[in-house]
Amino acid sequence: MATEDSNISVIGPRDRESFFDAQRRNRRATWRLSAVSVLAAVVMGIPLALIVTPLIYAVALIGAYIVNYFLPLPAGFWQQADRFARFAMIAGNWLFAHQPANPQSLALGAAVLLLPGAILSAGLWLGVNALFRRAGVGGALLALKAREPNPADLKELRLSDVVQEMAIAAGLPAPRVMLIDAHAANAAVIGTSPDDARIVVSRGLVEQLSRDELQGALAHLVASIGNGDLRIAFRVTSVFETCGLLVALINSPFGPQSRRTLWRILRYGLGGKGGAGGAEEAAAVAALLTHGAGLETDDIDRLFDTTSSRKSRLRSIRNFLLFPIFFTNAAIKLSLWFFSSSMLEPSVALLWRTRIYLADAGAVQLTRNPDGLAEALRKLNSERGPIPGGEWASHLFLVNPGGSDRMNDEKPDAERQQMLARVWAASGGGNSSNLSPPASADPPSVLKEIAATGRAAMAGDQNAIARMQAFRQAAASALGTTPAEMPDWADIAAAQHGDAAALQHLGEFSRKTAAQETQTDSGESSDISRTGFVGFHPSLKRRLKRLDRMGAHVRLESDGRKPWIVIAVLSVLLGPPLLAAVALLLLLIAIMTMASLTFLVVWLAFIHAAVGLLGLH
Amino acid sequence: MTGLQEGVAVGTGGAASIWLVWAYNSLVALRMRTQNAWAEVDVQLKRRHDLIPNLVETARGYMQHERSTLEAVTQARTQAVAASAGPPAQRMAAESALTAAIGNLFAVAENYPQLRATENMQLLQEEITSTENRIAAARQFYNDETMRYNTAQATFPRSLMARPFGFSPGTMFAADEADRANAQVKF
Repeated sequence: MATEDSNISVIGPRDRESFFDAQRRNRRATWRLSAVSVLAAVVMGIPLALIVTPLIYAVALIGAYIVNYFLPLPAGFWQQADRFARFAMIAGNWLFAHQPANPQSLALGAAVLLLPGAILSAGLWLGVNALFRRAGVGGALLALKAREPNPADLKELRLSDVVQEMAIAAGLPAPRVMLIDAHAANAAVIGTSPDDARIVVSRGLVEQLSRDELQGALAHLVASIGNGDLRIAFRVTSVFETCGLLVALINSPFGPQSRRTLWRILRYGLGGKGGAGGAEEAAAVAALLTHGAGLETDDIDRLFDTTSSRKSRLRSIRNFLLFPIFFTNAAIKLSLWFFSSSMLEPSVALLWRTRIYLADAGAVQLTRNPDGLAEALRKLNSERGPIPGGEWASHLFLVNPGGSDRMNDEKPDAERQQMLARVWAASGGGNSSNLSPPASADPPSVLKEIAATGRAAMAGDQNAIARMQAFRQAAASALGTTPAEMPDWADIAAAQHGDAAALQHLGEFSRKTAAQETQTDSGESSDISRTGFVGFHPSLKRRLKRLDRMGAHVRLESDGRKPWIVIAVLSVLLGPPLLAAVALLLLLIAIMTMASLTFLVVWLAFIHAAVGLLGLH
Repeated sequence: MTGLQEGVAVGTGGAASIWLVWAYNSLVALRMRTQNAWAEVDVQLKRRHDLIPNLVETARGYMQHERSTLEAVTQARTQAVAASAGPPAQRMAAESALTAAIGNLFAVAENYPQLRATENMQLLQEEITSTENRIAAARQFYNDETMRYNTAQATFPRSLMARPFGFSPGTMFAADEADRANAQVKF
């Protein structure tokens, strides 16, 4: 009997979970992961503080010397400084030379070594918080070119209505809705707290989703506001921005880029500009900072760059004088990169995923219709695309606007081919060229045909050139761009024969596209959620699986699951080399730290001696 | 009584009174939330009443032959407005009658393509659909909040003080037969 029972196929998932249970489970997971994230931040902070603290002491000592020159400091000050230094020595000897020390002076030594760096980091973090909290959301909205929905447009009216419905279901004041005119279907919540939260929706989403799906998608966003995700996102971003600020500060003696960033922040912080201009400035500064948190090496490269710019004597003297800071700089960057990408980012990414699952469960509570959200997610995932101006905030979007998801990789490609085939057929309609026989139905052969015509055009066939020009026009209008954004076939053909003017045209064109590409590149690299190993967005499959447990009727492909054996074997094979690499990196960081310390001490000794020689002490 | 016993007694008494204040305030807050949720249902019902004259006016131009349908809607609205001040049961009956009348109007409007194509009518239909959804959402929220309120009163520590301090379980909305029958209406 028992075997017969187990053969009956169960309709729906076996392990059902109510949305209340799912929310409770994800809340607990959030707590656990926040604890892990805080721990990761603290662990990351210890080496950072160790590296930064000596630099602070050095700067303070130089300051003290200068003050002493004009206004002699009391002898007690120097005695105190000496005492502090001794405690630090005790701690250092205990750590590196294994000399015994009594716990009290050890603790004091640790405090002397760690506290200034920790206080500086905390101060920077508070400053960043205050700076960007004041800025609000205006800058982000400007960057996205968001606009108010038009109540006379049926679809946009429906959008604001659905937001109202979901806000009522959640018992929240209705958040404001803004539209972005983008083809990609996506939506996000932007803001620093529930009070200034804005729901930003792309026009593509409004176009493509049915009312039920729209409800599911917006319920996710409203639930996310209600869960307080904006505060969490703000806090997480501010930690990464603080890292960027720290790097910019340390970089500033070497890099004009960092100096410019710092100057902008300072001007913004002191200026207190309100209104749109200030908000825009804040968004730009935030983007610069998150960009700086990556391993940015431009400025350091410039330090060693002797070929392109002639090195003035003054500059080489400055570089010699600031040499110890170079090691501090490298040590900070290295340890920031290592600890943040191995500990902080993964834990924060996993934390953010629990918030996404929580909002999914919240959306089911608000709509009582898991199918709506499931279908919406499926559609959005296949209609995914970049949102112009939203690259920095991709973690706030409903589905990852960039990146690739294994579940839907080949589909957009097939769609693109189909679109090309359609455009090819449409552009060839009025053309009597014998080179374009009636377009065949399947896209691959059409692609071959396009390639063949292109080759013929390059060889100088006038018919083929005309055909390609028509195709160019049609493709431009289908993509919503101007023909100028694609190469001119007449130029290409002429260039084959060595036409100078055509070559020049093409050169200009390739420069222009290259410039555009670097622009988009720099936009992408400032996105915090794409630098880590673990994405901030869970895969569609995981989200659908959870929705399925809450009662959505999704068909999940059971195949394609990696067998655990493979993973186990891989981890056994890759584990030791990975561990060795990690150990090597840690060693490198330690060496860098030591080098930075040593050079700082030498540097300070030089200054001390110089001051002594001058007879000021 | 020794000093220690005294201290324990005072400590226990203090903790108990702090807990009592907290429990009382939490129940009051929950009750306020249910009342607020109920008010939202009211607001949305009122919004529907306000939309109907406009709907009837727009439809009248195209549906001269459906006078009875239009009149039924107007009449149902009048009754619903009149019942607003009355007891909840009577009021809910009037509102379901109104829902049914509007559903009927939209069903009949299917036969008038020109009317359905009017931009104004489309926007109005969207508004009415949204309002129906909002009423449902508000009821759902009211039920969620009432459930939380009732659970808080019924579960152990707070169940001791809920009754003596005058808290009583709230009643939830239940879908009545008329609503169930009308759940299938598609606009």
